[in-house]
Formats: sequence, structure tokens, C-alpha cells
Amino acid sequence: MLNWIARDRVATLLLVTIAVLLAVGVAAPGFLAPSTASMIWSNGLVLMLIALGVFPVILTRNIDVSGGSVLGLSAITLGLSLNAGIAMPIAIAMTLGAGLAAGAVNGVLVAVLGVPSIVATLGTLGLFRGVMLIATGGEWIEELPETLKALGAKSLSGLSVMGICTGLVIIAVWAFLRSRRGRWVMVVGDNRAAARHLGLPVKRIEFLAFVWGGGMAALAGITFASQIGFVPNQAGTGIELRAIAALVLGGISLLGGVGSVAGVVIGVIFFTSIDTALVFLKIPAYWNDLIGGAMLLTVLLIDGRLRIALEARDRAARYHRGDAQAPQSQKLEDAA
Amino acid sequence: MKKLVMRWEVLLLALLVIELIVFGMINPRFLRTSSLLYGTSDFVQVGIVAVPLTLVIIAGGIDVSFASTVGLCAITFGIANFFGLPLAASLAVGFGTGALAGVLNATIIRLTRLQPLVVTLGSLYLFSGAATVLSGVVGANGYEGIGGFPTAFTNLGYAQVLGVPMPLFVFLCFSAVLLVLLHMTRFGRLVFQVGQNEEAARHSGMPVARIQMWTYVLTGLAAALAGLLLSAYFGSARVDLGGATLLPAITAAVLGGASIYGGKGSVLGTIIATFVIGYLQQGLQMSGVPSQISSALSGALLVIVVAFRHGLALLSAFVPARSSQTN
Amino acid sequence: MKPALAELISVSKNYAHIPVLKGVDFSVYAGEVHALLGGNGAGKSTLMKILAGLVTPTGGQVRIGGKALSPATPSQAQAMGLYLVPQEAHIFPNQSVLENVCVGLPQAASAYRSRVKDLISRLGVTLGLDTKAATLEIADRQIVEILRGLIRDAKVLILDEPTSALTPLEVETLFTRMRALRESGHGLVFISHKLHELRAVSDRITVLRDGHVVHNEAMEGSTDAEILAAMSPGVTALSDRVAGKVTSEEKVLSLSHLSGEGFVDISLDVHRGEVLGLTGVVGAGRTELAETLIGLRPRAGGDVMLEGRPFRAAKPSDAVKQGVVHLSEDRQQYGLFLEAPLYWNTSSFVYDQLPFFLRPAREQKRFETYRKSLGIKCTSPDQPVGSLSGGNQQKVLLSKCLAAEPKLLILDEPTRGVDVGARNDIYRIIEDLAATGTSVIVISSDFDEVVRLSDRIAVMAGGHLAGELPAGASTDAIGQLAFESKETSHA
Repeated sequence: MLNWIARDRVATLLLVTIAVLLAVGVAAPGFLAPSTASMIWSNGLVLMLIALGVFPVILTRNIDVSGGSVLGLSAITLGLSLNAGIAMPIAIAMTLGAGLAAGAVNGVLVAVLGVPSIVATLGTLGLFRGVMLIATGGEWIEELPETLKALGAKSLSGLSVMGICTGLVIIAVWAFLRSRRGRWVMVVGDNRAAARHLGLPVKRIEFLAFVWGGGMAALAGITFASQIGFVPNQAGTGIELRAIAALVLGGISLLGGVGSVAGVVIGVIFFTSIDTALVFLKIPAYWNDLIGGAMLLTVLLIDGRLRIALEARDRAARYHRGDAQAPQSQKLEDAA
Repeated sequence: MKKLVMRWEVLLLALLVIELIVFGMINPRFLRTSSLLYGTSDFVQVGIVAVPLTLVIIAGGIDVSFASTVGLCAITFGIANFFGLPLAASLAVGFGTGALAGVLNATIIRLTRLQPLVVTLGSLYLFSGAATVLSGVVGANGYEGIGGFPTAFTNLGYAQVLGVPMPLFVFLCFSAVLLVLLHMTRFGRLVFQVGQNEEAARHSGMPVARIQMWTYVLTGLAAALAGLLLSAYFGSARVDLGGATLLPAITAAVLGGASIYGGKGSVLGTIIATFVIGYLQQGLQMSGVPSQISSALSGALLVIVVAFRHGLALLSAFVPARSSQTN
Repeated sequence: MKPALAELISVSKNYAHIPVLKGVDFSVYAGEVHALLGGNGAGKSTLMKILAGLVTPTGGQVRIGGKALSPATPSQAQAMGLYLVPQEAHIFPNQSVLENVCVGLPQAASAYRSRVKDLISRLGVTLGLDTKAATLEIADRQIVEILRGLIRDAKVLILDEPTSALTPLEVETLFTRMRALRESGHGLVFISHKLHELRAVSDRITVLRDGHVVHNEAMEGSTDAEILAAMSPGVTALSDRVAGKVTSEEKVLSLSHLSGEGFVDISLDVHRGEVLGLTGVVGAGRTELAETLIGLRPRAGGDVMLEGRPFRAAKPSDAVKQGVVHLSEDRQQYGLFLEAPLYWNTSSFVYDQLPFFLRPAREQKRFETYRKSLGIKCTSPDQPVGSLSGGNQQKVLLSKCLAAEPKLLILDEPTRGVDVGARNDIYRIIEDLAATGTSVIVISSDFDEVVRLSDRIAVMAGGHLAGELPAGASTDAIGQLAFESKETSHA
């Protein structure tokens, strides 16, 4: 059983999610409707985009906890420019630019200057949030134009424009990681020195991963603004934690080199399903943090023990092969 | 090695002095003894958690959950008090919560062998959620806070010892104890060695898990101390009491000389750094800069400090790389 | 005049004002195997890393195919047709063997599958292309590195000690491949410190000592004596063994049928005041045996008696308390606290004897006694141990072991990365220790060293005890047992 869970984290998680959803469906009738699926999807968009943004960073064995602040910064860039009368496409371009620039700051700190990513992104978490507050003077941005909200509204198929965008991003990431250069991202995290030795542009890869993270956070900011309709001061606060939790849940290793897009998606869906279910079950909001934290820690515990068991198995395999070596070389000698 | 450490702390001290002078020039009222002294009550709680946090970082770990532990301990104290327990017993509950939080962190880190950052991110959530739920138990809405403390307690927040406000006094005493502990005892030596090379420490038989456990427990206790001090000061225990300490405390530890990789750090440095950061905030406020700046500040300061340190290392690029043994 | 495929012209390299390479000229021509030889610390690896773009030289030029190597990066060197097969394989543990071999190549890994398979069979080894690299052991990992070089069809291939984990048959197959590459016009550099291997396959030989080239001739014209003299002139040989030592009958350590990770059924004894040389090739299981003894690895079966009483250690501190101390093979990872002062390192096994409130002065005095008796070259006890040379670092580690007053000392590769002068010092220290009654197990892959030091020799191969030899046995005899073959691997 351990073997199977180890081999296919994603499938296991999918089954667990379905099981939980079914259980909730029993407790709260009306939960198991197609509208719920569409609700879970659209509720999870922001988290999904942040998670997809942090994903390559973690693959390269770095971490980025500034995602929420970049989300906020991007959202207010969007809001302020729209409210100033700037046309939508330009406003969106500016927002993406803000996110990419923020990601580049992180990238320079970590990839060029060699600052440990936890310290660098903790710093930029505060820095970006502060810049955001300075720009808005502490005020929320309200009265966003209808054209923006339309991006977040669901059409007949149950999907919104942002929802479709997110789907496209998922496919793009999946395709990229299967490509030659996508493989580079994974091996940089697996063994940085070896990657450098083999001529991979390690610093550039790490830098670009952070820029990507910033860009995704900007997309998340756009989604957030379009779904909620206004931008509060604490937009995005704490979301990076949930993103990391979702990634770990989906089998992505924080030590880099291991993980799949399917894992990211299923991890986010799982979290969002739980949140949506809690609402359906009419559990008051202030339980969210407690349940979220308890779940994350439980997941980490199980994941940790699993990983340790797997490593022991790999070790045993190494030594088992050691015994098999001797007879093998004998055979070749006879052949000679 | 000692010479290097001494140099950094002297630099910090110089920074502090320059800072005080600059702000004093902008607004002379800043330099009044009373504002300097009483202003500290606004930020010493950062220092109280930053000092044991320095030990955690030196030993190779990190803890971000203390921001929630502060509130959690305040709430449990408030609840104990609410249910009529005598003051001493309620205080014990508060401190006990802090110690337990540290034990929980250390245990999960040890069991999963996962990065302490992630585990304590989870407990940051968990503790804050627990505090919110618990405060609901006594009917207080999460952000309202629990009140009704005995006056003996709230007076502590405003008491003076040797002419120095209570929070500052507590901070200085607590830091002094940890300073001695880290730099002059066998325990402190082990903290350094565990952080410098955990494998070698294990191989030498050092009780790595126990040492790391102690650093997390000390941080938990410090969080309780900070939470209780703040509750006395404000007269109410709130869930988010510690929220604003997260970034400044880490900044103080790193600014004070701790390396995020472990093995290096200084309590004295952290103490000075706390004052640097605290007076920075205060000085800016007194200079008329709006208060939203604070988080940008701590963040910017952290970024600038580490960029500077690492940028310097880049410039002196010909550092002997003790990589291969054979040539 | 054949053009050089790759050249180093007057290259020098300083690490923080310490010169490691001083004006070295080195060239590789098409159709030749150029051997590079030198003792520990001579600069061989650094020189090749400069050629491969991994290290930037402080002075001099690097040219590949007649053009300057610019920018000085590994990818540029590889693009220009040069590949360095490193001494220790760089593996991506979570990727398959095929992916490992093909990372960095212009096409996706699947495009190279058949070629890699072909190369594997021509190398005469078996390796599953889809095996997860984390499960590979050392010999297979080296093969992955060699494959990386071969699949790149690099015009210049640098092999840095490629044979340390290979069996004689695999070595011979590698040599055949190298000869084939030479015939088709490639230029190869072969770094090793095993003279007989170099003779088997090289055309020219360069000897480095202390960062200079001291010998650069055709292989045929160079005698063994000349080459050895070039490597270490003044101290022409390491000091000789003191003859006529009588060892005690009293058994300090007794292993019977001990099994664990990487070894089975080991039974041997160590007597009081005896130096037992435990040798074999890399992967024979010696380090695993030592680590199992002191409790770093689990025991699978068998008994261990220390001074007649059952001995069991669940962790290293248990072993230390009972008087069994281990000096690890990887001193930087397991033994030393590089950023810590010297006297901290010396006290680290016996930290629990320190008082709660530390007295540094007393510790420093203790360190001082060891400094004198072991001959540690340092400027002050406060110095971080990482700033010392390899030989002195090893001596500091020894002081750490001796501070624990062991009955049995297990030294794993005690002279790895140590220069000749310090080596002699360490040999003398081991002999002095044995004379005072401490038993020593010396684990070493250097047969000459084993013969020099040991009162008795135990040879392991493939995880079991291949045989025991008395003092003064020949390196050939050791080699026979270590390689489990009827004949030796001499050319």
C-alpha cells in the first residue's frame, strides 16, 4: 500500500478528495451538484495561479513567500490604472509588468546576489506590501469597472474568462516541463552543482523561475480583483502559505527536483474543496485557520514519514544491488 | 572568529548612533529621555522573541510560528483568568502554552525531517486558528480580545524598575540571560556546533534533537512572555497581538549577525538590531511619515541588509573555496 | 606540427593569495592519451577544471581548438568539444539514468536512447536506462559520467581518476574504448595516481608537483623511478616501516560473523597495540563495516566483543564512551566543524566533560598539548579549522579522537588529501599510538600505505573478507585478494 501511495501521490490524493466530497455530499444535500464543481474551480483560481507560480521556484530548490504581496501590488496597479481611466488592455499589461518586475527583484536577490531565498522573499513580502500601501495611501480600491468584473463572471459553460486562462496556463506548464528546457528546471533543483557542471545556465533558470512567479501572482491579482470587485488592503495575505501547503500535498518536494503539474492542480483542488465544503456545512469562518493549519501539519507528518520510508527503500535497493554485483562480474569473466 | 563578530556589532552600534542623531536633528523631541525610554515599550516585544529566535537560527532551524504563539499564549492566559484562576496559575497556563508550542514544532520537525520553515508555517496557521477558536469559547470575537485582568497584572505593564519601564527591563534581563547561555555555556557551544555541521555534531555524539528542541521551547516561552507583557500593557489579550512581530524579529536576528544557514549569530547583535529597527520606526513616525510605511520598512531593511552582505561577498570573490581535498 | 586540440598556456591560479598553480603549460593533441600525474595537492584537478571552464584562472590562457575559451564556462567548453568526466559522479537522484546522461544535450533525452544503449553494451556493463539514479551505487554512477563524455563525442575528453571504483575487467574495457577514441583522432587526458594504469594506455606523461610542471615526456621514455622522483623529490619515499615489531596476543576487538549494509559474515580480531590494515577497493564495504561498528548503521547479524565483553553501540557517542573512536573518511562532512575554532573541534568528542560554564583557557591549553605532539601548523587556537591545509585539518581531527582516549581507533582514509610531509607525521603518530597500547584499524585504498603501516592486513572484496595477510606482504598479493582475480591487473 505504501508502495502504491509512494508511486502515485496524485492518484491517491484524487481518491481522497473524491472521498471527502462524497462524505460532505452525504452530510449536506445539494453539495454534489455540477454547480459545485464550477464553484470549486472558480474559488480555487487565485490559489491555483499562485501555486503554479511558486511551482518552478520550488522545483529549483528555492522558495517564494512574497506571492501574496505581489498579488496585492498587482491588484492595486490594475485598480488604480483602471480608475484613472486607462484602457483595459493597457491596464492589464501594466499589471503583468508590475508582477514580472516584482519577480525580477526576487530573482536578482536570489540568483544574482546569492541571498537565501527564504530571507529574500520574506523581505520582499514586507517591501511589496508596503509599496502597495503607500501607493493607495491605506485606502481600499473600490468601484472597479464592470469590464473587469466581466472577466471573473461565469458564462453559460460555468467557466469565466480567467478560469479558461488558468486552464491554458496549466496546459502550458505541463507541456513546458516535458520539454528539454523544462527538464532543466527540474534538474537544477535535483543537483545544482551537477547542472552547472553540465553547462546549464543555472542562475538564469533560477532568475526566470522567480520572474514567472511574479507574473503568475499578477494574473492572480487580476483574477482576485475581477472576482471580488474591489481591492482591500490585505488582499493576498497568507495565500502563499496555502499555496505551499497545496504543493506539498500534491507531492512536490521542497528540496527541489520532484513534482508534477497534476500534483499542483490536485493539491489546490483538495484545499479549495475543503474550504467550499466548510461553507456548505455552515461551519463559521473562524474555524478556517485552525482546520487549515491542522490539515497542513497532518499532511506534512504523513508526507514526511512516507518520504523517510521511501529513502530507506532506495537505500536498501542500493545495498541489495551491491550483493548482486559479485556474481555478475564473474559471469563476464567466464565469457572472456 | 571572535574578532569578526565584534566588528559587526560595533558597526551596528554605530548605525544606531547615527540613526538617533539623524532623527534627533529632524525632530529634537525624539531625543528626550522620556520618549527614548518609553518608546521602547512599543517594540521590545520584537526583541524578546528575536533573541531566542537567534538561537533557533544558529542551531540551523527557523521558526515563523511565534507570531501566532504570542497571541495564543495571551488568549490562554486570558481564558484561565476568565475562569477565575489565581494570577499565578493563569500565568503558568500562558507560559505552559508557549513551551508546548515549542515542543510541538520541534517534534514535528524531528519526525518529518522536513524543513523547519514549512512546519512552522503550518503551526503559524494552526496556533492562530486555535487562538481564534479559543477566544470564541469565552464569547470574545476574535479581534476584540479578552479583558478583565486583575489590576496587579495590568499595573505591571506600566511599572518602573530602576527608572526603566517594565517591558524594557524584562527585555534586558531576559536577553542578558540568553547572552550568557549562548556565549558562555556548554549548551550555547553545542547550539553553535549543531548549526555549523549537524552531521558532524551527530557523529560526535551531540544530542542534536534535544538542543534544537530547547531552542524552539525557549522561543515559545519568549512568545508567551511577549504576549503577557503586551496584554498587561494594553489591558486585553488579542489573537493578533504578535502579528506585527514576524518580519521585524527575523530582521533583527539576521541584522544582528545570524546566518540563515546556521552556525553563526550573536545575541548582542540581535539586541542592538532590535533598537535599530524599533527606533527607525519611531523616528519615522515622529518625522511625520505615515504609519503604513512600517512593513515596507522592515522588509526593505531586511532586503538591503542581506543584499549588502551578499553583495560584499561577491565583490571579494576570491574566497578560498574549501571544496576538493585532492588536486 | 599537429595542432593542439586544447592548450593551457602559462596558467596560474591563486586561492586567496595562496598559489595553487604557477605558470603551467599543458596541451592535448589529436590521437593521443596524455597522462597527468601528481600527488595530493599538486594541482591536477584544478588545472583540468580550468581547462573545462569550471574555474577561472588567475593568469594565462585557455584555448580549445585554437580559439580562446571565452566565456570561461562549462557550457562553452562543451560547445567547443571538451568534456571533463569528474572524479566523483554528479548525479540527479530523481531522474532516470537516460535523463542523467542526456541533460544538456541539444535534443530531448528520448532521441538518444538507442545510442546510449549501444554505448552501454560496448562498454561491457549492464545499466538500466530507466532506473532511478538515486538507487545506483558508486561504480554505476561513474559509468553514467563516462557515458556523458562518450555521448558528447567530445574531441577532448578529460578523465579524472575514472577507475577508482571499477573492477579490473571494467578498467580494461574502459582502456579499450579510450584506445578506440584515440585511433579516431580524439585527444584524451587521463588523470590518475596509479602508475601502472597510466603506463597501460598513455602516450605522454606530465607530472605536476606544487603547481609546477616537473616532467613532460613521452611515456615510453620515462622510467618509473624518474616519475616517482619527479612527484616527490626530497622526501623520495615515505619513511620506512620499523621492522621487528612484536604484537601482543591479547584481543581487544573480536568480530564474528558480523553482517550489515554492504557486507556479510565478517570475522576478524584486533590485538592490543596492533595496527590492522583494512583494505580493498572502493565499494568493498570497509567504511560500512566501520560505521556499523560505531552505531551509524544498523547491524544485520553477528557479534562484536570488546576486551572480552559484548559490545554494542546504537550511536557514535555510545562507541566513544566504550573507547571505540572513529575518524570518518569524509572529514569535512562528518568530522570537522569548519567554521569553529581549533580548540572547539578538539573538544567535540568529549564535550560532555566540559563544565556548564565554559573555561576556554583550559580548553586552549589542552589543544596546545596536542598541537605540539601532533605538529599542527596554525597561528592560534582561535583559528577556524577550515583555514588550515588538508594535512593540518587531519591532525586536528586526530587530536579530537585522541582527546577521547580511545582503546581502539578506527581511521578511515587518514591521509586522503594530505601532503607528503604531513603523511609521514601521521604515520609516526599512528605508530606511537600503537606503541602505547592503543589498537588502530587503518582503512585505506592505498596498498602501499597499508603495507607501510600494518602489523596485519585484512582484505575485503565485494562485501566479504577475502583474506588476511601478514606484515610486509606485497601489494600484488593484496591486489589479488582485493580484485578477486587469479592474475593482477598489471600491463
